Amino acid sequence: MTNTLHRQGEIESLKHDYIIFVHTAKGRNREGSAEKTREFMRICKQYQPVNMGDVKQGSVLQDDIAFEGLLATMGDGTVAAAVFADIDTLQEVIEELIRADLGLCINISGLLDEVRECCRKAGITRHSAEHSLGIWGAKDRLPEREVMEFNTMCGHGMVSFNLIRKMIEQVRLRRMTPKQAARMMAKCCECGAFNPARAEALLDRMCSRGFLRSAARGGAPGIF
Amino acid sequence: MGAISLDADGKSVVNQDECVECATCHRVLKNEGYPPWFVRAIRKALFFFKLGHLADFDLCPTGALTPPELTWPRILRAQFSNPTVVHPGTGVPGRGTDEIKSNDVTGRLRQGEAGLVIEIGRPGLGAFFREIEKVAMALAPLAPLYEQENPVTHLISDFKTGKMKNGILDEKVISAIIELKIGMERIPEFLRALEKVQHEIDTVISVGVASRCLPDGTIAHEEWVQKAGYPLSPNGKTNLGLGKPRFGEDGP
Repeated sequence: MTNTLHRQGEIESLKHDYIIFVHTAKGRNREGSAEKTREFMRICKQYQPVNMGDVKQGSVLQDDIAFEGLLATMGDGTVAAAVFADIDTLQEVIEELIRADLGLCINISGLLDEVRECCRKAGITRHSAEHSLGIWGAKDRLPEREVMEFNTMCGHGMVSFNLIRKMIEQVRLRRMTPKQAARMMAKCCECGAFNPARAEALLDRMCSRGFLRSAARGGAPGIF
Repeated sequence: MGAISLDADGKSVVNQDECVECATCHRVLKNEGYPPWFVRAIRKALFFFKLGHLADFDLCPTGALTPPELTWPRILRAQFSNPTVVHPGTGVPGRGTDEIKSNDVTGRLRQGEAGLVIEIGRPGLGAFFREIEKVAMALAPLAPLYEQENPVTHLISDFKTGKMKNGILDEKVISAIIELKIGMERIPEFLRALEKVQHEIDTVISVGVASRCLPDGTIAHEEWVQKAGYPLSPNGKTNLGLGKPRFGEDGP
């Protein structure tokens, strides 16, 4: 799943958006991976991620999901993820995961140069990499780029354009705080890849800069 | 999708053509369990006095929405749109595949190879299979190697033409990924084909390109994409290479 690949925003905003997740391959390292995935989650939890989850159970920001319950129900092959809002914390997480030597496939979505630098500092060389080439096709059907910044944080598409507009409107009318609106959006994201801290910062920025000022649609990959 | 609206009687209705069966409405909304007649009566009374009730956004007062039992071909909507549904073809939840996420142990993409992920309908608009077929048919003459563990690959009936199975073209999904493996030098050729077909569909496509890094960590596909004149995102996905047992490049 390319669910974390096409996140959009300004570089300064993307500097606060890193998703680390585990994956396994059948017949290679999937069998017996459940306990290792739990250990991955425990390590991430120590560094206070802004969101965590797995696509089978949901994210910790949903009403009925607690961290311990999430771990208890993990099976072999679970794709688990945690989101961090700064590169220094991510660096520490990577170093601890290297020490833990779990043997799981560990991936990071975020600014590629910064992640590469993290690898270098940790003494490893990245194995594979993937870029977004942006959005093609009927881009005229897309909403304002501010809406896209929220929407692309959930690559499964569970945070709809309509809900995002509604949340922006609620913040604009001071019926919800940016934190409440960000949390509401994050609840829709099933795998825990949505970054509520970044969403809150984007809403705060709107409060000071203005709401939905942009007419640009689609845009270049990653940055507008 | 905007698939839910109120009818003339004030009852919620779902546009079955537009609904992609993602079940987000059912998963996220808490059921307050009130009888529908009671809720409608309260609303009418409030409306009479030009008042309204600003309920929380994650509440459904009557639990009106229940995911239906789906049969073929409509079940494809849930398989591609609801991330909690395990796809029978891949054995994993959602519409995706491993792509580079386990490349360190599988060697799915080796030196000199590139993976193209062409996700039709993303972000947010969704796509009918007739649009996905148009893209598949535009790429088919280039004879790509389709990823076998990809759910869209299982729905292509003729790999020479890109034609998809009968009876699925009117099904809408939140997105679907055509995933190809090609030689690095063919990246420009495939992007040019996509460039042409993008104007023939009424939805969007999110395009990604991946590869095994060179021994010094350099990303090999960057040069080919830039040569072809396309911009690369500053962000992306990185496989750290911590998986074990590590795939040997010269191995099986």
